Amino acid sequence: MALLSEKNINKGLDILKKFRDSRLLTQVNSCVHCGLCAESCMYYQTFKEERFIPAQKVDMVSSIYKRYFTFIGRNIPFLVKARDLDDAISSDMTDLFFGACTLCGRCNLHCSIGVDITFLVRTGRIMLAEMGLIPPSIQSTVDAAIQTGNNMGITRQEFVDTIQWLEEDLRDELNDPDATIPLDQKGKKILYTLNPREPKFFPLSISAMAKIFHVAKESWTLSTEMYDVTNYGFFTGSNGEASAITRRLYDEVKNLESGELILAECGHGTRAFRWEGPNYLEKRFDFPSRSSVELMAEYLREGRIRVDRTLLKHRITLHDPCNLVRNGGVIHEQRYVLHQLATDFVEMTPHGIDNFCCGGGGGQLAMSEYNERRMGIAEIKADQIRKTGAKIVVTPCHNCVDQLIQINSQYKLNVQIKTLAEMVADALVIE
Amino acid sequence: MAVFDMEWFHILALVSLSLCLVSCAFHLIRLIRLGKPDDLAENAGNSPAAVYYSFTGGMSPTKKESAYLHLPTYVAGLVYHLGTFLSIALFFLFWIVPGIEGVIQVILIGFMSISAFCGIGIFIKRIYKKELRALSNPDDYISNFLVTLFQVVTLISLSQPAILYYFVASLLLLYLPLGKLKHTLYFFAARYHLGIFYGRLGVWPPEKQDKIHGTTIREEHK
Repeated sequence: MALLSEKNINKGLDILKKFRDSRLLTQVNSCVHCGLCAESCMYYQTFKEERFIPAQKVDMVSSIYKRYFTFIGRNIPFLVKARDLDDAISSDMTDLFFGACTLCGRCNLHCSIGVDITFLVRTGRIMLAEMGLIPPSIQSTVDAAIQTGNNMGITRQEFVDTIQWLEEDLRDELNDPDATIPLDQKGKKILYTLNPREPKFFPLSISAMAKIFHVAKESWTLSTEMYDVTNYGFFTGSNGEASAITRRLYDEVKNLESGELILAECGHGTRAFRWEGPNYLEKRFDFPSRSSVELMAEYLREGRIRVDRTLLKHRITLHDPCNLVRNGGVIHEQRYVLHQLATDFVEMTPHGIDNFCCGGGGGQLAMSEYNERRMGIAEIKADQIRKTGAKIVVTPCHNCVDQLIQINSQYKLNVQIKTLAEMVADALVIE
Repeated sequence: MAVFDMEWFHILALVSLSLCLVSCAFHLIRLIRLGKPDDLAENAGNSPAAVYYSFTGGMSPTKKESAYLHLPTYVAGLVYHLGTFLSIALFFLFWIVPGIEGVIQVILIGFMSISAFCGIGIFIKRIYKKELRALSNPDDYISNFLVTLFQVVTLISLSQPAILYYFVASLLLLYLPLGKLKHTLYFFAARYHLGIFYGRLGVWPPEKQDKIHGTTIREEHK
């Protein structure tokens, strides 16, 4: 018996039917099946399975499109391998779109035609979301964010306690009773966000940014209502939930009358709000938002903070988060910052917009059923790190930090993993 | 060629050409009417410059793994496409001149033989390589076959194109808007969209100072 109801099939097909612009029509008609994208994909490189070739993922969506919306596909389906949207293909779609793609976008850049393969994978995820086929593991992360305001389900009291403890530590460290981590203050220039993993597991990265704000004499605040920079709705393809999460952050900027939203070191969070947020809410934002990476670079350039580059004795390297760099345009700022504080900074090969994903992107870290694949493809990143000879790997993304910590352990790299804020805070000149 | 001089195969080719152009116009008008994405996020780059880069530097074989990791295939594909464009140009030329002779004919035969050979090579690769075979559908083989056949009949008909030439040309023209050969049109749309996407982010065009680590700051953040 078919598991997919006709109603759900129609919901999935509706995504392919409603063109908002020429983008989808272009992508479903452009792939020429040359297969030259294969090596650009970490999954194919690692496992050498033909189903992991990005063009196969393109074909999942375009074969359904052709079956229902083209003359040839409707009448002579075998000619273009047009396929019905049924249980079999939806199962393959779930496996490939959720379990074999980090949405890193490397294949787009290297495609011989220029097909936006990631766009089609995301379209496939949106179809699956509409058909109720989001893997429960990643959906639970979205549910936590929707129900509690943050994806880790941290209570407000727990959060406030953590911040107060960090504030006391900050005062001790700086020997300054006026050092603060402001909460819910209205009219500040900056509303700063966090990845909920920070208060839960990595509180020192909050201290690091607070220290930087303090030295820069910044007017800033955190919100206890909505501080979560992440948006897993962006990964699941559930645009309704992605919009709801975006709306909360947008509303909090308005409630606190903040001048600017600074997005914590989180690749997908930055992309989901900065680049997709206005589209989710269908309006242009009347306040700026940018990554804390750009802000730290600005502080250094303007002399609002200074760093001592003699303090760092080890070689460092940089991992580029896909959603911040290739899919976010923040390419040079982190390099500028690292060159200010390090004398031995070595790039990975390849790097920048050509980088390899850490393996944890696209929501992979939230889907334990694909752990084996995730850690399998991570060998590419492990090799890249090993070849640099670096002792510290810096990455401006907490999601990547999590994955790199696991890579460090599994592949025995013996390196330290740090965020950019932690690096800057450690090298800050305090006057 | 005057209308009263036309044979049935000339008329067949003209009808096929007309149908092909109408179909392509339909696809083109549909694309234009749908328009570009109405992106509401503040643009951080220069989209027109990025679209230009998408069709120029972004296509460079040094920038794409699909090219520099597969140089023989890339070169074969390039020659094959040049041969195809040349064949199409000759198709139009044959309505004005009856045939091509002399040195030009020899040069054309030489180049188009190489081009057709590349087409055959790509066809064989599609059959021979397991991954590519799994990816392929009948349309891929038919498209490759028809274009290569068109090149072959063009090169053997240079002195005097006749029934076989116009028949194959007609087949190709009728098939073009139906299958993957319509990437003739959608290729440009795909490159355009890629340029728009990376342009708004400021990823494309790449900055010239890229190599000077630590000194490159995007203009809008200065």
